[in-house]
Amino acid sequence: MAVTRILLVAVLAVLFLVGAPGAPAVAFDGEKALHEAAKKEKELTWYTAHYNSETAAAICQGFEKKYPGVKCNYVRTTAQVAYQRLAQDQKAGIAQASVISSTDQSHYTKMKQDGWLQPYRPKNLTELVDAFRSFNDPDDLFVATAAGLVLITYNTSVVSPSEAPKKWTDLTEPKWKGKVSIGHPGFSGYVGTWVVQMRKLYGWDYFKKLELNKPRIGRSINDTVTMLNAKESIVAAGPAATTLESKSKGNPLAVVYPEDGAILMVSASAILKNAPAPNAAKLLMEYLLSREGNEVMVQQYQDPVNKHVKPMAGGKSIAEVKTIRPSAAEIEKGIPEVKEQFRETFGI
Amino acid sequence: MSRLVLTGVSRRFDAVTAVDGFSLTLAPGEFVSLLGPSGCGKTTTLRMIAGFLAPSEGTIEMDGRLISSPASTLPPEKRGMSMIFQSYAIWPNMTVEENVAFGLEVRRLPKSEIAVKVQRILDVVQMRHLGRRYPQELSGGQQQRVALARAIVVQPAVLLLDEPLSNLDANLREEMRYEIRRLHDEFQITTVYVTHDQAEAMVTSDRIAVMNQGRVEQVDEPRALYARPRTRFVAGFIGRTNLLDGLVRGAEVTFDHFAIPRSRFAEPTSLDGQVSFSLRPQSILLHRQPPPVSDRAAVIPGQIVQRAYLGEHWDYTVRPAGGPLALRVTARPHEVFEVDEKVWLELDPRQMARLQPE
Amino acid sequence: MTDAAAAVARRWRHLDKSVFVWLLLIALLLLLVINPLARLLWASFQHPETGAFTLENYAAAYGRWRHIEALINSLVIGLAVAGLCTVFGVPMAWAVSRTDMPGKGLVWAAVLGTFIMPNYLGAVAWILMAGPNAGWLNRAYTALTGAAAGPFNVYSMTGLVLVIACYSFPYMFVFTRSALDLISSEMEDAASTLGAGALRTTLRVTLPLALPAMMGAFIVEFLEAIALFGAPALIALPARFQVMTTMLWQMFEFPPRVQVAAAYSMPLLLITVFLFWIQYRLIARKGYVALTGKGGERRLVRLGPWRWALLGYCLFVTSLSFFVPMLVVLQAAFARAWGRGFSLDNLTLRNLRFVLIDQPATRAATLNTFVYAAAASLIAVGLALAIAYIVARRLVPLGRVLTYIAMAPFVIPGIVLAIGFYAAYTAKPLVLYGTAWILILAFATRFLPIAYTNADAALRSINPELEDAARILGGGRLLALRRVVGPLLRRGLAGAFILVFIPATRELSSAIFLYTTGTQVLSVLLFDKSDEGNFEVLSSMGLILVVVTVALVLVGFRVVGRDFLLRRTAS
Repeated sequence: MAVTRILLVAVLAVLFLVGAPGAPAVAFDGEKALHEAAKKEKELTWYTAHYNSETAAAICQGFEKKYPGVKCNYVRTTAQVAYQRLAQDQKAGIAQASVISSTDQSHYTKMKQDGWLQPYRPKNLTELVDAFRSFNDPDDLFVATAAGLVLITYNTSVVSPSEAPKKWTDLTEPKWKGKVSIGHPGFSGYVGTWVVQMRKLYGWDYFKKLELNKPRIGRSINDTVTMLNAKESIVAAGPAATTLESKSKGNPLAVVYPEDGAILMVSASAILKNAPAPNAAKLLMEYLLSREGNEVMVQQYQDPVNKHVKPMAGGKSIAEVKTIRPSAAEIEKGIPEVKEQFRETFGI
Repeated sequence: MSRLVLTGVSRRFDAVTAVDGFSLTLAPGEFVSLLGPSGCGKTTTLRMIAGFLAPSEGTIEMDGRLISSPASTLPPEKRGMSMIFQSYAIWPNMTVEENVAFGLEVRRLPKSEIAVKVQRILDVVQMRHLGRRYPQELSGGQQQRVALARAIVVQPAVLLLDEPLSNLDANLREEMRYEIRRLHDEFQITTVYVTHDQAEAMVTSDRIAVMNQGRVEQVDEPRALYARPRTRFVAGFIGRTNLLDGLVRGAEVTFDHFAIPRSRFAEPTSLDGQVSFSLRPQSILLHRQPPPVSDRAAVIPGQIVQRAYLGEHWDYTVRPAGGPLALRVTARPHEVFEVDEKVWLELDPRQMARLQPE
Repeated sequence: MTDAAAAVARRWRHLDKSVFVWLLLIALLLLLVINPLARLLWASFQHPETGAFTLENYAAAYGRWRHIEALINSLVIGLAVAGLCTVFGVPMAWAVSRTDMPGKGLVWAAVLGTFIMPNYLGAVAWILMAGPNAGWLNRAYTALTGAAAGPFNVYSMTGLVLVIACYSFPYMFVFTRSALDLISSEMEDAASTLGAGALRTTLRVTLPLALPAMMGAFIVEFLEAIALFGAPALIALPARFQVMTTMLWQMFEFPPRVQVAAAYSMPLLLITVFLFWIQYRLIARKGYVALTGKGGERRLVRLGPWRWALLGYCLFVTSLSFFVPMLVVLQAAFARAWGRGFSLDNLTLRNLRFVLIDQPATRAATLNTFVYAAAASLIAVGLALAIAYIVARRLVPLGRVLTYIAMAPFVIPGIVLAIGFYAAYTAKPLVLYGTAWILILAFATRFLPIAYTNADAALRSINPELEDAARILGGGRLLALRRVVGPLLRRGLAGAFILVFIPATRELSSAIFLYTTGTQVLSVLLFDKSDEGNFEVLSSMGLILVVVTVALVLVGFRVVGRDFLLRRTAS
């Protein structure tokens, strides 16, 4: 009798520990309650500059699948435009966006200063790659949710792997004159960070030398992909994710992880204080850090920020390559400075 | 039938005075024409009666009610009048029947009644068989009839016509003149008719108001207007005439190169100083031989200067008494004279209409 | 009742009640046009933080050489574009209107296609055609001549001028053609009996008679060019120069400086007012009596073999503006990887599927685009007709002032108008920002002058006696409008509607400042896409925009009849 009871308890205990069928693989504490609260809000709007539209669409779809009843509307623009939209909304007293994901660090500092953000410490923060934690706000106003690499990209139908540049300084070689594509720090957070890092590595002379090669300057870092595909430029300082994605479609592109280091971009997201859907926003933040969310990102050739998720096949994980990055403070201070310097040097 | 009274009506456009002190009273059912050359202000007056324009001065009253004054003007749609426009203004997007029915529909008559009235009026203007046609499919004369039907079917208090016949050819014009008068007589509507054609005015009107440069020169029945014009302008505008200026000297009125005894004129006692007369060409008879002397007629020798044969009559220009005057004389077809032939003019001074001094 | 009271009562009875309707509409006109402009002017003198009066915005706007350089660039481009449009549009208009050139239907259809195509889509296509390194034209050139590099470089001021001119010349074509259609051949006969040949007659007699229309079109082209945002944003930046509109765009960057932007855009207004004044002075005195509404008999000039050359020229121009860019767009829209070029195994419908099905933003944006364009057209045409009526029938004193106000938005570049709207409607009491209405009203205001010109011409072709007849029979003005004038104007108004609708569907320069998530339109979506590197999807969206617009226009043709775009008076 006593044995049967003990066995019963033991079996129950085992069952409990193993987990009842239907429980999510990695749920976070309070997920269900948050989901219910988010359902009442029905939908949320997300201003993002972190990815391209297809990735943002995929993430939203994954989010909606995981959390039925909550619609995810994304507005994908460059960082500057995202901030502009938000600024206009705030000035007009309109609450549209619930989550903002900019690639420009200085935006967050200003938004924090202007009191636009509300604090939230995601439960899934424990899943975040440790190296990225330094990008989080100590007051929990913003959290790193996206990572990407800026590296050297080229068009394989015109440039062979042996000819391709191996390090950043190779881009200033005369043989690439008129054939290099870059973005503009005034329009893109990624480009701004890249410029700051290059300045840190090689001083502003790097850009003075680059100007001798008459680079083709676009707006966004993704413009480089267009330029390479069009063969207008054949080498570029481009984004790993978009380039690899374009390559997967069949375009003749390839990436080079520079010897002097690929620039690691860590971009944060934040919840707005006047978010129309604060609970849905919190749920999205969790999702962006979750394993499912990062699986979706990886399928879109983005780098994951979840330490448990492996990067896409064919790409190297961030841990494997040499990366360099300026600190948050350096980016903060540096971007406005380099915008001016850039205008002086390149005239635009 | 309505009584329309215009008192001292004037209208200015910036610096130009289009109508100056126009006064006229229309008896109920009367047909009055406003006759004059272009620019004399007749259409402007008509539009003021209709309510499209407000007077700068003066008033317009209908049946004792003030409808137009410089301070306020009753809008056209509230006057219960009808108007026929120079262009007919038949709406091309509606059929004949729909055009005619419009005014009745605005008055919210029941559909059945409208249908009956429309058919009846189309009968009157002999357009019933064309009821379903569109205006583009009609001739000018037919469109004119539609305009008439449309205007009359609503039994307007006053009917206004703005040179309705000027776009028709001569034969049609004649026919329509009678038609308009006939309709007026049948329905007894107070009518104001604007025209520059004196024949039209003469045929249709009870009275004619002759206008010149915004002012009324004379208002009279057609016969009186013709026989006894009071101003040079009226004399010259209605039919052709000879204008004779003379000077009263004692018992005679002297003209250029001839004289006529004062006693032979109508109202001889009122003749004094400088006088002007209008003498119609039909009032002068031409003779080869001097006619018998009488104490009624004046006989003057003259010479034929020019002649024109117009089929129905001769048009002679005769120089009396060797003077500089040239008189127009209308003679019957068989009265043939040669140019330069010496003739005798016989005229009846009582038919010479005294003109007002300018 | 006393005399005075009776007089007042009578005045009330005598009052034409429709006057309240007119006053309401005039108020609407003032709200749409004057309000944003006044706010803009006010904002330009306002300190950003304190709101106090200051001149520092003007100092900031014009204190930097970069800003002035951008203004100069815009003016230069404007003149060059207007000139090039004349070169493109006038021969084509003459060919179609007055000669026996064959293939007129094709040329006319291509012009219409050009009118529908957004200029930034054309710009993207042009980048592929004339990029200095890999543009198709350059590659063809190097292949043919063996040279090291081709001469065509779209990333230059010349390139930008060409791209803009390609998409603006339809205005010159339409205006000139309308005018030429009205010239009776007697004018040309007079010249030829005096011994002038066809060319001399054309240059010295025919074309000069169309001069007012051409001058009007020249000014329109100039204004379009300096106010354009899409093509310059794509081409000017890589070409390393700025124009006014891209500079204004930067002023809206973090942090947005609306006041400086307002100050910066003021001179544009002055320039355009100046241009119209010049036109008025040059044209008002001369006699162009030949252009009565009727036009005499029009015989076609026989060109002999030259007509093929002329057709070749027309097709050349429309290839540049329409056929070749459409090919480029088609290729990319149906390509898996457009970088691979055209090949059978590179074809796919995946992009269209993504755009139409997977991406909800496109569906919403497409719906928004056409709904807003239709609403804006209705408002613009309705208001324009009402104002034209008020002016033509002299219902209020100082009617001419209303005409100037209705035409004023013409003088304002779209981007400036948007800033004005932004300034006017993002603060209480009337907050329209964030709603669809701010876009609809901005579009309606922007295109009000086009609607007004057409409505005015259509109205003048109707004999006022038609209305008077309705009024005297007891209908008021409003009834006359509804039952008589309205039906007669249908054709003319439908034409005006489409002339507003098409530009509204591709309007970018004002939309870019005023849209929010819920009110996205295709033009902005396309523009945003252009910096994503996803050219396949971009082309698919562009293709959808063009196809749907063409379909709607063709439907419009059926309803209205073919000639509406080319005749400015109702039949």
